[in-house]
Amino acid sequence: MNRAHVIWAISILTVSLSAQVSPRSQETTRMRIIQGPEIELAKEHLTIINWTTNNPGGSPVQYGVVHYGTDPHNLLETAKSPIRLNPDHSSTVFRVRLDNLKPQTTYYYTVGSIQATGKSDVVKSSVNHFTTP
Amino acid sequence: MRQARLIALAVVLVVIVTAIFISAHLFRGHREGPAAGSAPLYDPYPPGILPSDLNAEIIRVQREVDFIEDQAFARWKALGQPILTGQPPVLQNTGTEATETLGELMLYDTKISPGKNEACASCHMPYSGFGGPIPSVNLTMIAFPGTVHFRAGKRTPQRHPYAPFFPVLQYNQVQGLFFGGNFWDSRATGYRLRIPDGEQAQGPPVDTQEMGFPDAACIAFRLSQAAYRPLFEEVWGEGSFDIKFPRETERICSTPGGAAVFGGSTTPVPPGAADRTRANTVYDHWAQSIDSFEQSVQVTAFSSKFDAFLAGKYTLTPDEMAGFRLFNGKGNCNSCHLAGRGTPLKSGQTDTSAAAQVNHLFTCFGSANEGVPLNPRDAFYYQTKPDSHGFIANPYGFGYRDLGLGTFLRSGFGSGPSPNLSWKQYAPTVDGQMQVSTLRDVAMTPVQCPTTEAPGPYFQKGFFHNGYFKSLKQVVHFYNTRDKYAYPVTSGHCPKGTTEKVDCWPMPEVRNNIDMTSGNLGLTDQEENQIVAFLQTLSDGFTKPYANSDTYTGACMRGGSAATQGNELLIPAPQLPPCASAICGVAPVPNPPIP
Repeated sequence: MNRAHVIWAISILTVSLSAQVSPRSQETTRMRIIQGPEIELAKEHLTIINWTTNNPGGSPVQYGVVHYGTDPHNLLETAKSPIRLNPDHSSTVFRVRLDNLKPQTTYYYTVGSIQATGKSDVVKSSVNHFTTP
Repeated sequence: MRQARLIALAVVLVVIVTAIFISAHLFRGHREGPAAGSAPLYDPYPPGILPSDLNAEIIRVQREVDFIEDQAFARWKALGQPILTGQPPVLQNTGTEATETLGELMLYDTKISPGKNEACASCHMPYSGFGGPIPSVNLTMIAFPGTVHFRAGKRTPQRHPYAPFFPVLQYNQVQGLFFGGNFWDSRATGYRLRIPDGEQAQGPPVDTQEMGFPDAACIAFRLSQAAYRPLFEEVWGEGSFDIKFPRETERICSTPGGAAVFGGSTTPVPPGAADRTRANTVYDHWAQSIDSFEQSVQVTAFSSKFDAFLAGKYTLTPDEMAGFRLFNGKGNCNSCHLAGRGTPLKSGQTDTSAAAQVNHLFTCFGSANEGVPLNPRDAFYYQTKPDSHGFIANPYGFGYRDLGLGTFLRSGFGSGPSPNLSWKQYAPTVDGQMQVSTLRDVAMTPVQCPTTEAPGPYFQKGFFHNGYFKSLKQVVHFYNTRDKYAYPVTSGHCPKGTTEKVDCWPMPEVRNNIDMTSGNLGLTDQEENQIVAFLQTLSDGFTKPYANSDTYTGACMRGGSAATQGNELLIPAPQLPPCASAICGVAPVPNPPIP
């Protein structure tokens, strides 16, 4: 197989693959939290925590992950919610739902994110807290 | 002697009359009326679920279907003489149009159903972007009635323009995601034909609540009797129908699928093994022909304002352009409805990006759970009693939950068998997910009802898989405020002082895997309207007329506002029983458990 054939084969393969998947952007080397985390919504049945990072790149779907609990040294519960990465945006907002928390209870939490493949991003927040209504 | 002559004359007359009858049958058979009425009506529905004009509207659509079928016949007759030449053999000059016309003739053929009263097009007409053609059904029961009046499916008819571009369903290991397939739950994977759109076309003819044949061999049987059989043989070869169908085939194929008399068999027609293989091949050619039509410029036209804009032949209005910017920027819609363009992030910034080397299909071929509320008007919930054939569509009633792709990966109730066991492990990660449809033609309406939005005059459509949304304004408002106005109630139970779909969104039908890209976007009312204006630029028919978009003979609706469109017909959801174990108890079970 000569060089032209190799280039032709690679280009066909590339076009065929790119036609079948969402664009996968290059992973950033240094992911960081730009804003938050903060409590976006606190209702009796639903709490939403959000934070903004630089665009992590990588898999088109990423999960925001919240580890939480009533003991700041023992965050036993985990909630995670998917978001679609927009490769053209410079920043990314992660939002995670926590359903049916106990009323009038203080919860402690940290936030982080993972790719759809399960690969964990390095960034993780310090422990924060909030109290449900 | 004279008596013998009279007998001979009588025989000749009988032969002539018979010939005329057969001829008339052959050429007009495709416009025969429905066989509906031969069986008692199936009506397990509480008052108000079926729209009052349902019968009249079914007849209206059938008339329109027959009209387009006649036009397709004329196209076929106008085709040039076939020239089969070359190696491999090709129908030179006419092959493309012959195959597309064959697919069109099939799509509008009402005889491909036991009652000879239901074509694919009965639920997919061009003037609604090949979505549901009956406004009152879109407004109420959302799933369309099938060959048995009135069994009905469970979801809205998904628009099929651009569906041929969806790839074979695959699990992308690198991205950890599913891509492709057809149907809301992606169950037409394309695993065998490698054409998901074609495998999709093989679904409804044997779906018990749609066209409803009891056996896939019935399609070959009915096609063998079709007036356009010569075109089929021209495209797919002489001898395609060399199949010995047993005498009882007509009786079997006139009985709807799921009938108790079949005892659960999906192959009640007893042709021999070789004949069944040939019948299956005919059904594969059915799939390929319809895919060919659906990919033709008659259906997948790329003739919208947006296409003209990309070609530099149309200037978006200020609202359309603002909507386009919001679509890509603050609205973040293009994170999954890929527009193929860069993203201007700031007000006044100009999009200078070159068009990407892809078709602008406004989908990522993926799936997502947007947290849509359960729609208690969905006809599926009420089909809990046996019909006159002994068939029950949904024994679980409101215990049914639509887990979409998750149920399919489990080969679960209400979906189809998955061809790939290795996918099953991922079911809990996709519960509740439905296919991300293309946005092209989402706003398409008949010419005389130029919008989907009240006050109109408008054509009522149903949006998303369960038709909960009745206008594009509501869809965009939902993306914008789903979480801001979230209430722990089901539809019809919003708190006093709130208005459902305006400042109250009932809880999601499936809480798992809810996509959080949107839900609190901070768009203003005007910005929502601008995104709707942009979506309306995606309707085909701007650069050239869209085929048969002028065939609607029904009425337009008028009055009200897009924000509350259809709210007058909201009904309170009953107290929901737990999710049926046949759905939520199938391993690997949903995580967290679905109540």
